[in-house]
Amino acid sequence: MRQDTASDTFTPKGRGLARLMLGAAILPLMAFSTAAQDATGQAPSLAAMVDAGNLPPVAERVGDEPEVVNPLNEVGAYGGDLRIYLRGSSDHNHILRVVGPQGLVRWDPQYTEIVPNVAERVEVTEGGRVFTFHLRDGMKWSDGAPFTADDVMFNVEDLVLNEEFAPTPPRYTSGGEPMQVEKLDDYTVRFTFKEPYGDFLAELASPLGQHPVLYAKHYCSQFLPAYNSDGLAALIEENGATDWQNLFLQKCGDLEIPARWGNPERPTLDPWVISEPYVGGATRVVMTRNPYFWQIDTEGNQLPYIDQVVAPIDQDVESLILSVMGGNVDFGLRHIDPPANRPVLAQNREKGDYDFFEAKSTGGTDMSISLNLTHKDPEKRALFREKDFRVALSLGMDRQEIIDTVMLGQGEPWQQGPFEDHPYHHEQIATQFLEHDPEQANALLDGLGLERGEDGIRRMANGDPVRFQVDVIPTFDPTWVDSLQLIEQQWAEIGVDMEINPMERTFFYERTSNSNDHDAAVWRATQSWVAGQIPQMLVPVHHDSRYGIAWKDWYLSGGEKGEEPPASIKKRLELYDAARGMTDAEERRQAMLEIAQIAADEFETIGVSQALPTYGIVKNDLMNVPESMPSSWYYPTPSPTLPQTWFWKSE
Amino acid sequence: MLLVYIARRILWAIPLLFAVSLIAFALITAPPGDYLTTFAATLAQSGDVVDEARLDALRERYGFDQPFIIQYFRWIGGVLQGDFGISFEWQQPVSQLIWERMALSVTLALATLMFTWAMALPIGIYSAVRKYSIGDYFFTTIGFIGLATPNFLFALVLMYVAVVHFGSDVSGLFSEQYQDAPWSLAKMGDLAAHIWIPVIILGTSATASLVRIMRANLLDELHRPYVTTARAKGLSEWRLILKYPVRIAINPFISTIGWAFPQLISGAVITAFVLSLPTSGPLMLQALLAQDMYLAGAFILLLCCLSIVGMLVSDILLAVIDPRIRFR
Repeated sequence: MRQDTASDTFTPKGRGLARLMLGAAILPLMAFSTAAQDATGQAPSLAAMVDAGNLPPVAERVGDEPEVVNPLNEVGAYGGDLRIYLRGSSDHNHILRVVGPQGLVRWDPQYTEIVPNVAERVEVTEGGRVFTFHLRDGMKWSDGAPFTADDVMFNVEDLVLNEEFAPTPPRYTSGGEPMQVEKLDDYTVRFTFKEPYGDFLAELASPLGQHPVLYAKHYCSQFLPAYNSDGLAALIEENGATDWQNLFLQKCGDLEIPARWGNPERPTLDPWVISEPYVGGATRVVMTRNPYFWQIDTEGNQLPYIDQVVAPIDQDVESLILSVMGGNVDFGLRHIDPPANRPVLAQNREKGDYDFFEAKSTGGTDMSISLNLTHKDPEKRALFREKDFRVALSLGMDRQEIIDTVMLGQGEPWQQGPFEDHPYHHEQIATQFLEHDPEQANALLDGLGLERGEDGIRRMANGDPVRFQVDVIPTFDPTWVDSLQLIEQQWAEIGVDMEINPMERTFFYERTSNSNDHDAAVWRATQSWVAGQIPQMLVPVHHDSRYGIAWKDWYLSGGEKGEEPPASIKKRLELYDAARGMTDAEERRQAMLEIAQIAADEFETIGVSQALPTYGIVKNDLMNVPESMPSSWYYPTPSPTLPQTWFWKSE
Repeated sequence: MLLVYIARRILWAIPLLFAVSLIAFALITAPPGDYLTTFAATLAQSGDVVDEARLDALRERYGFDQPFIIQYFRWIGGVLQGDFGISFEWQQPVSQLIWERMALSVTLALATLMFTWAMALPIGIYSAVRKYSIGDYFFTTIGFIGLATPNFLFALVLMYVAVVHFGSDVSGLFSEQYQDAPWSLAKMGDLAAHIWIPVIILGTSATASLVRIMRANLLDELHRPYVTTARAKGLSEWRLILKYPVRIAINPFISTIGWAFPQLISGAVITAFVLSLPTSGPLMLQALLAQDMYLAGAFILLLCCLSIVGMLVSDILLAVIDPRIRFR
């Protein structure tokens, strides 16, 4: 059985110091002892190939400096399949989450520190402007070709900084200028920024920061005009592509598109490589072990332990649940973790031979209501911008009733932000205006001159009723609409007429994020504001910042589009930009807390209840899987717990 | 005479197809947002975050910011040259994606059609000839249940029972070891062992409705004077029924061939979705849901073509089988 050692390492209580490092992008990273261990063990199938002379010996394959991984509970045994699942199309990120974004660095299993990954170590100098990555000597791509500094140069110079391919993502720029990259020797590269960029390593550790080591130069360069000007036209023709960009995506993929898992020929650095690809019409995806994978365990056995990752493609979630119940899934969290499924999953634990593991929320709330502070209608905008109005709405909400009725008593009233045991916890922003106080709420609304009409609904200065719609996607989280129905009644008591406006998800995005036509919108705000995350509820920097879409447009376009934000927002945006550059953990924490203080004083979004943990399932015989793990895209669950160290208990 | 008729029908199909393609494309682009908005929404639903700058760049590359009519002519221009464009979701050429799934769709549709006919024809004749007998009531009851139960619900119930009570998985068309294996006799056998479940699920309601139609049509014919005449002349009962009234009552069966053609693609989309069948139905539904314009557009265009061809074929067959239509 899985042991309990994981659960205390994941409990943040009493680990304040370690947790402080959350923001510490810049730490002198410890290199793993490299010479301590030689690779000696390998999977039987690979050993047979070595004996037959079809594969170099394992020590040669893992290179001179493999990463030595200490498995969670015990050193494992080779063999078996890991059966997961995919839900229809566009579920490619599930593969990414299990295989892991094999970037230069990664998060540790506790989501507290950044540790080296593809890089063997990194030095941060000149106040956080210069990052020198030492790669692993003799490391190989999954086809056996050497992985060197040239690959990093190719990725950065020919793709990341190549505007013809795609615009350079903002995470590779600082002070308005893209990073510079230089090759020091075959196994050393240096990234230089214009200004200090403390969050850079955390950005690299997130699933969106894999760019510098994503593509193998020896394979993917054939699809670039700069490398293959003669043969490219023929390749485009042959593959039915529209242009070289399309051909490149078709063959080499991109971070977040299904085509990333669609070409078995593409060399990768992943523990398992695609053998049955994820393409339109596929009924399952199979990945087999990478014979050149560059991690070994403490006894010198090459990882991964498990031979294959098998993911049948089921079209809908109900069939997925059936597969889990039937015992046909070994590890599952995605899609099946809404609380509504828990009883049926619990009931079938014995039959399916699985148990639950906890997926802890990183903080914040599952449901946050944002009034549109940049509303196109000046009357509504003026009303929504009154802080007293927002406070009155919050005080007019009976959160305990919502928790008792909709959330089966689980949860605690919460506005937003990290939980109490987190170093980024900010008490005011989390707990202000939580009490249900209709009297005070009425007094505040009266104070705004919003007199009640005959129907009990308050009137604005122009005589229009205080009425607005809250846009919501019912399919995202069924508790949202249920909660809104209670809130609708509660707000009616303080004379505010709220209408629930459920809509299809694309329409929601179009209306709220793109055209800014909404009155208010519901979204989740599960965040702890650490480096690498986007704190969209504190600062309008993302299309999920639905209280200030016009401000977000202003910020992202450098002032060309959208609308100039008020001083409070501008101040926060400046602080946020500064915080991203800070190299000292404590300094960054103080900056984020200062932002949180301003946001707390402005009180832009209204939260309901603390984000609850969810539960995934894992087979009883699957070992080294922690009983609890953080649940976050930025982490991303479960890959930092290293599925390559999971193994099947032999009978 | 027949040839002129066919030629005229084919000529008429051309403007029809053009109009249909315009309407199809308009419908696909009508919902707010585009493929990339849906993409961002799908990812957000699973808690993933999408890179906003990348989205904007892709939107420009795919031409989503262009007006509708320009997008349409870009697309139809390509289609006329045999280029159906690429699927945004898979980055693969649309034509390749569609053909990959066609063989199994055709197999399934044909098997279902055969099953439906094989069941409906004898049962329909029996219930008409033995009207109000125990057997008639039995089949009528089953027929109404079959008509009233949505196929996908039937599929879900069957899957649940199979998993919970028998511990087996009834979804898909192949066992695990044959899923991506090359075609062989063993794989054909495996397909045959799996295909009957979706065939029954898909066939029940069609069977039920055909039984009802057959029964009603035959009942109309059985009381006609020519039946009485034939009987008076001493023709054996079964030979009489099969040779005259059944031949007239069978017209609806021929007409259904016309409907069977588009069914090759759109046949039982939801059921195939639930059962995870590797046919083209789920791919089309996904393309529509994801607003993967070119893929969805190609599917709808193909559906229209097949409908038009199907109607043509069934009209010709009717003319061949029923002399009354031919000589009208």
